[in-house]
Amino acid sequence: MPKLKRSFSALNRRDLLFALLLIAPALTVLLLLSIYPLFYSITISLQTETAGGFKWGLTNFTRLISDPFFRTAMAHTFVYAAAALVFEFSIGLTLALLLNSQIRGRTFFRAALLVPMMLPAVVVGVVWRLMLNPNFGAINGTLKEIGLNTESLTWTASPRLALLSVIAVDVWQWTPFVFLVLLAGLQAIPQEPYEAALIDGSSRWQTFRYVTLPLLKPAILIALLLRTMDLLRVFDQIFILTEGGPGFATETISLYIYRTAFRFFDFGYAAAMSFVLLALTNVISTIYIRFLQTKQASV
Amino acid sequence: MKRFLKYSFLVIALLSALLPVYWMVTISVKTEIDQFASPPPWVRFAPTLEHYSDAFLSRSFGQYLVTSALVAVASTFIALFIGTLAAYSLARFRLPYGLDNKLSLWILSTRMFPAIVTAVPLFLMMRDLRLLNTRLALIIVYTAFNLPFVVWMMRGFFAEVPRDLEEAALVDGDSRLGALWRVVLPLVTPGLAATAVFCLIVSWNEFLFALVLTQTDAAMTLPVGIAGRVTQYEIKWGVMSAAGVVAIVPILVFALAVQKYLVRGLSLGAVKG
Repeated sequence: MPKLKRSFSALNRRDLLFALLLIAPALTVLLLLSIYPLFYSITISLQTETAGGFKWGLTNFTRLISDPFFRTAMAHTFVYAAAALVFEFSIGLTLALLLNSQIRGRTFFRAALLVPMMLPAVVVGVVWRLMLNPNFGAINGTLKEIGLNTESLTWTASPRLALLSVIAVDVWQWTPFVFLVLLAGLQAIPQEPYEAALIDGSSRWQTFRYVTLPLLKPAILIALLLRTMDLLRVFDQIFILTEGGPGFATETISLYIYRTAFRFFDFGYAAAMSFVLLALTNVISTIYIRFLQTKQASV
Repeated sequence: MKRFLKYSFLVIALLSALLPVYWMVTISVKTEIDQFASPPPWVRFAPTLEHYSDAFLSRSFGQYLVTSALVAVASTFIALFIGTLAAYSLARFRLPYGLDNKLSLWILSTRMFPAIVTAVPLFLMMRDLRLLNTRLALIIVYTAFNLPFVVWMMRGFFAEVPRDLEEAALVDGDSRLGALWRVVLPLVTPGLAATAVFCLIVSWNEFLFALVLTQTDAAMTLPVGIAGRVTQYEIKWGVMSAAGVVAIVPILVFALAVQKYLVRGLSLGAVKG
């Protein structure tokens, strides 16, 4: 029998071939549709159209520095990401802590709270255009009913409130995600440290600060990492809600890239900007992952 | 008092999560007069189905619906087939030079690109291949998009299956592929189903690639169809809402089916790219 038994750890040539054969289709698809486009994008970012045809060079990248639209789009992206992250995290953590305790109707609350996150971004856009519409929207209609003046509350149509409105919609849709990841993290914490804290007579705040928070750190970092990545590249909801407007009040970097490529057909410049976005998300995710690894090592 | 605060916070969260969706549902079944009524009627109105028949029978939303379903099912099926094979290989075989781990990480990293980064070159590639405004273009792009996710989900599920079972099958004279098909796959069926459902949700919800690659009624998905109407002047709110309601029904059914795997799937980027 040992003669027949083929082990998985030491690969003979036939098994190696089999293993590679199984991976080959997936690798081919990814090379053609993820890696090749990336290189294709690099080449077009290095070309600019001039009267005499295409010229190679770094023009598209140097142009970034003096482009006011690029700067405001970057500023919007950072404001959007930072504000949404703060609210999504604090509300998500509160909800997770509340639903981690023994509470009636827990499964129902959990399932119902997840609804916004599952919706297609386009539908979220429709839902909130209906809610925020100044003429017949539910929000202004309800405010009017309790006697408030809603004339200046035009939400997504107002240059002052538009960015705030799209941030609020993001918080509405994605707080459930933070909540879900943190709740899963809380439920994975064992009982023993809490019992020890109880015996030591620590207060509820101390237990939270010195037991829950350190043990929840990996889940917190994962939730923040995934949210940050998505927030920096946000496109869908804003496109439906405002298309970047009014004016350019809600234009984030992804929307500006879209406008450059598919309204002005300046693909080279769009590609150059998309690499700035790619570099940015890479740097930030690397920092998070560093954190995650050191934290896990020290626990 | 504390209990009261706890519950009121939860109820407020619950209402803010659900009322906006409920509002869209009411708009989809309200006559135009009720839609614009002030104060807004939340409960008291005479429901009508005219917007649904208007959207799906008189306008092209029926066609968008078919495209969405077709593209989602086809790309899920292909990604699942290709991805599961790769996942099995990466979960089971130690490749030389630690290649199995490196490949797995590389595959995951392709999923992390912001969509707009690949949307620009993919548009140009599809234009060169004359595949713009075809369902095929979307099937191809969604397959590649879902593939890393399938590999990572399935690699996890395969790793949970004890090796002894396959080795026993091999001893009995089964081939490797036979052992995978007859012994391992039946054991990971729940995982396979969950992965499939996640892929369906992602493809169904996807917007940016669909927007960039399809602009004609014949190839447009439901989200692009809805978006095209929303950003125009003189919006038919009832029609929009009816289409929106139809777009979320399958998602909510699917989400219920995969509740157990939700955290795992979402950490690998399901639902949103």
